[in-house]
Amino acid sequence: MISVQGLTKTYGSLRAVDDLTFEVEQGMVTGFLGPNGAGKSTTMRVVMGLDRPTTGTATINGKKYAEMTRPLREVGALLDAGAMHPGRTGRAHLRVAALSNGIPATRVDEVIEQVGLGRAGRRRIKSYSLGMRQRLGIAAALLGDPPVLLFDEPVNGLDLDGVRWIRSLFRGFADEGRTVLVSSHLMSEMQMVADRVVVIGRGRLIADAGIGDVLQGLGGSRVRVRTPRADVLVAALGGATVERIDEREIEVIGLVAKEIGEIAHRAGAPIHHLAEVEQSLEQAYLSLTGESVEYQTSGGTR
Amino acid sequence: MSTLIGRTAQAEWARIWSVRSSWIFAFATAAAVLGIGTMIGLDASSGPPPDGTAWDGALPTGFFALFGILAWATVCSTADHTSGGIIPTLQWTPRRGVLLVARATVIAATTAVVGLLLVTAAGLVIWAIVPAVGAPAGEAAGLIGRLAFVLTSGALLAVGIGLLTRSTAGALVTVLALMLILPFVLAQLSLVYTWLESIAAGMPGSSALYLVFGEGPYEEMTTTSARITLVAWVVGALFLGGLRLIRGDADR
Repeated sequence: MISVQGLTKTYGSLRAVDDLTFEVEQGMVTGFLGPNGAGKSTTMRVVMGLDRPTTGTATINGKKYAEMTRPLREVGALLDAGAMHPGRTGRAHLRVAALSNGIPATRVDEVIEQVGLGRAGRRRIKSYSLGMRQRLGIAAALLGDPPVLLFDEPVNGLDLDGVRWIRSLFRGFADEGRTVLVSSHLMSEMQMVADRVVVIGRGRLIADAGIGDVLQGLGGSRVRVRTPRADVLVAALGGATVERIDEREIEVIGLVAKEIGEIAHRAGAPIHHLAEVEQSLEQAYLSLTGESVEYQTSGGTR
Repeated sequence: MSTLIGRTAQAEWARIWSVRSSWIFAFATAAAVLGIGTMIGLDASSGPPPDGTAWDGALPTGFFALFGILAWATVCSTADHTSGGIIPTLQWTPRRGVLLVARATVIAATTAVVGLLLVTAAGLVIWAIVPAVGAPAGEAAGLIGRLAFVLTSGALLAVGIGLLTRSTAGALVTVLALMLILPFVLAQLSLVYTWLESIAAGMPGSSALYLVFGEGPYEEMTTTSARITLVAWVVGALFLGGLRLIRGDADR
């Protein structure tokens, strides 16, 4: 289990993480979400002992990372795929990691095959694409077969095959009972793979809940209705919350399709289309982080 | 060797020799030291019989070996910071004090041993060219002992400064300034401004040159004072560099 308690990290006058508290349970994939500059990477760096917390603590299975003597056997992490010596071969990079943690050299070849690098492992890292560097970073994380795994934007640069592979990898790890924390901006990916999400904005916790609870938090079900007598239906719906799409189409919030169908029938409004709108994690994320976006384009971020 | 320090040292050893730059530095230093040794030998063979032994002739090559390993040790100690490799390094060895000891020891030992081997080889080259000078084993031990201290100290100084600056260019400029440029410039200026003499004598490069050649421009300097000066610089550089490694954020 990963435990972050009252964590604050400042860089000069910048408060990157602000009194953040959450826990990551074993046996599930936890998505770590937030806009750019929200403090996700900083939090992961503190958890991994790379940056010192200003206040608060971050522990993994009750221990600070900096106290571990064979950390690769306890925690595997991919934080920055670009942070490698470009003049070393992929295999040599992993060999150094293995030596530092007393891991047999045979394991290096195993993880190279596992992540699909194959013969590219003998090439220098400077010739690698971003996707290949991601795979090498994932190989290093898997080297010690650890029970806890952290990945910061792991699908960056991966092709479709790689994305599908890593999705099944995370699912498999969680099913084996491991602790998996994954940060990503790809909400569709998170929705497919995460069991739980921790959402932060401007360094603060916004949400820490199961995927279902987060979606529910958007305000319940939404139903899209198309009818030539939309005004009649809106009047018949009484106090229900209605969003007007156009003169023939509305979205009703808080009622289910069956209820709306019966009201429309009684009101004499013929229904041409009636469907529950599937809520996405992306909508939930945008709704939750709307006030917390650090960097906005001139036209707004959304 | 399964202790933490042993494993970390093994990783440092593999880290040094798994990049091309280390081999380039080793070969470049070898070319310089052996090339100078060959020229010294050829020069000795073309004139009247020299007074000293092959080891006396090899002494100046120690100076070139010193600057070769200074550059090599500097690059070794800064490579992780300039490439971003410090991120995985600290993930694999989060005990930073252990990393500091292993890194400083392995880099200094590797570069100093290579330097000593090359100077020894240069002496043998001179002996091969001019057999008459002789190469007594006892004198070889004396030469190696004297250079071992200087080369190891120089490499440790470079490691400390590299860890402190986290920049290859910055560390190289600083190391070369302390070991070569400032001692030379201050020595010249002290002819006019005598109060600069004590500062010039306190430069690590002045002490290194005194220990290599056994003499120097400063009357008050002795072997003991030169060694103390060099050790003080090494301890200071490693303390400050180590402090930054241990107390600071990984790559900021």
